[in-house]
Order: sequence, then structure tokens, then C-alpha cells
Amino acid sequence: MIPTEELKRYEIFAEMDLTELKLLSAMAAERRAREGEELIRAGSPARNLYVLQKGGLMVAFPDGRAITLHKPGRVVGWSALVSPTHYTASVTCLTDSTLIAFPGSELLRLVQRNVVFGTKIMRKISEVLSRRLPFLQEKDKKLLRQRS
Amino acid sequence: MGGFSAIGAGNGWIISALGISVVFFGLASLAFIISYFPRAISWWNDHAQTPKHLFPLLKGLFKKRRRKEELLLDARGVQEPGEIDDAEEAFRLLTAHMGEPFELPRLIEMAEQRGLARVYSTINGLLVRGTIVGGADGLFRWGTATDSKKSVEGEEVK
Repeated sequence: MIPTEELKRYEIFAEMDLTELKLLSAMAAERRAREGEELIRAGSPARNLYVLQKGGLMVAFPDGRAITLHKPGRVVGWSALVSPTHYTASVTCLTDSTLIAFPGSELLRLVQRNVVFGTKIMRKISEVLSRRLPFLQEKDKKLLRQRS
Repeated sequence: MGGFSAIGAGNGWIISALGISVVFFGLASLAFIISYFPRAISWWNDHAQTPKHLFPLLKGLFKKRRRKEELLLDARGVQEPGEIDDAEEAFRLLTAHMGEPFELPRLIEMAEQRGLARVYSTINGLLVRGTIVGGADGLFRWGTATDSKKSVEGEEVK
């Protein structure tokens, strides 16, 4: 469980009200990862969505391209909310990092039950997606277009 | 009287059989005890976390060891600027073969193959300093003095 005040600090949850933050807080868990640890493997089932609290991450796409994330609040593992829920990139820690992990299935259930919450979170996810769209493979782009 | 008959007369056969049995059972018991070592160690690990009577002193010893390990880990987390400068030269040599712009995961893979120490945190240090910069195409290059410290997401790296 992560305090609601902590969640409120991050851009992705900035629009959430206290009730929504409490729901998120209940399902959130801290995840610590060591330098060089592979947090997410491309192609594996997407079980968690992560928000970076501290550290540095490298998001590596299957074609060899990559982006690095250093700012607290950056999101990785959005595939946990988008069918067919398989990660499209690998994420490795560049330094010892602390993240907030949200179980994808629980988050998805919350999105489906609460339309207002779902709209807010999916809007944020789509912002992340639009930044990373150039890196996705053609099949992933096609899939996302179909879903939208 | 001599030879086998002398051995028989002095209960030598029985004593030999007894000796062999003692050695056999001794070794069998030892093997049995050793086979339980992994379970005993895991039991010890579990119970050493919540000591009751005999454990506090021993746990104290382990705690000291753990603290030493933690200190080593903490020291590992600190990287001197000089270390990054040295590593930078090694990375520059690697990218000379790859050409620019280069793929960051490939650079890391090559550095690991060549046994460079602390590849990930060194790369992180170089990114944070703007020595290596990411392009909008997901490829990386060596930064110039005029390069702003921005990643492909347009975020200030620090």
C-alpha cells in the first residue's frame, strides 16, 4: 500500500480525487529493483503497470531502439491495460530503482467498473503511448488502432 | 596353529564383520545427516529471523555481517566522477566500431561482453551528464557542448 499523498505527486494521478486515490493506494505496492535488473521482458504477459519513484530505466524495443526514463512519475508497462496484455518492450534498471507496481488485472477491473476513473487513467496512458508510438512495431500500432 | 584357523579361533571373522558393519553404518549415518543439511540450513534461515532463546547472540553476529554487506552495497552505489570519465573512454572505443548513432542496448551488451564494470550505472551517469544523448529516433550519440540535457521524451534528465 502506498500513501495517497505519494500517488498524488505523480502526473498520471494528478486528476484523481481522494476516493480514486484510495482505491489505487490499496492495490499499489512498492517494488525495488537493482541496477541491471530486467523489470519487464518484451513479449511476456503484462501483469503490472509501474510508476517510477526513483532511479533510471531503459525501455528497449525489439528493433534495438531505446528510450531512457529518469523523472519520477514516468510510466512503464502500459500493456497491462491494453489487450492482448503482452509487453511490447523490455525495461531494465540503469540504477537501483524504486517503483510503484499496480497489478494490471485489478487496475483494469477498476477501469471497467468506474467510467470516470477509467477515462482519466486511459487519457494519461494514451499520452504515454503517443510519445512512444514511433517506437512501436507496425503490428502493435495496427493493434492499437483497432482497439481505439 | 596359524593362518585362517588362527583367525577363526580368535573370533577374527566376527570382529572383521563387526568392524565392516560399524564403518558401513557410520558412513550411512553421515550420508543421511549430510542429506538433511539443505533442510537444516533453510530451517535455520527461517528461524534466525525471529530468535527466541539461543539465537540472539548468533543473530547479532549475522546482523554485523549483513551490515557490512549493506555498507559494501552502499559504497557500490556511489560512483566517482573519475570512474565515469575512465569508463567513458572505454565506451567511446566501443562506439567507434558501432558508428553513430548507436543502439544503446547493443552498446550495453558489448560492454558486458568485454567485462566492463557497472555498465548500467555508468551509462546512466553519462546520460545524466549529457555525455550521451538520446535522439527522437530511439538511437543514441555522443553529446556535444551545445547539447541540452534532454532525453527523447523531452524531459530534463535531472
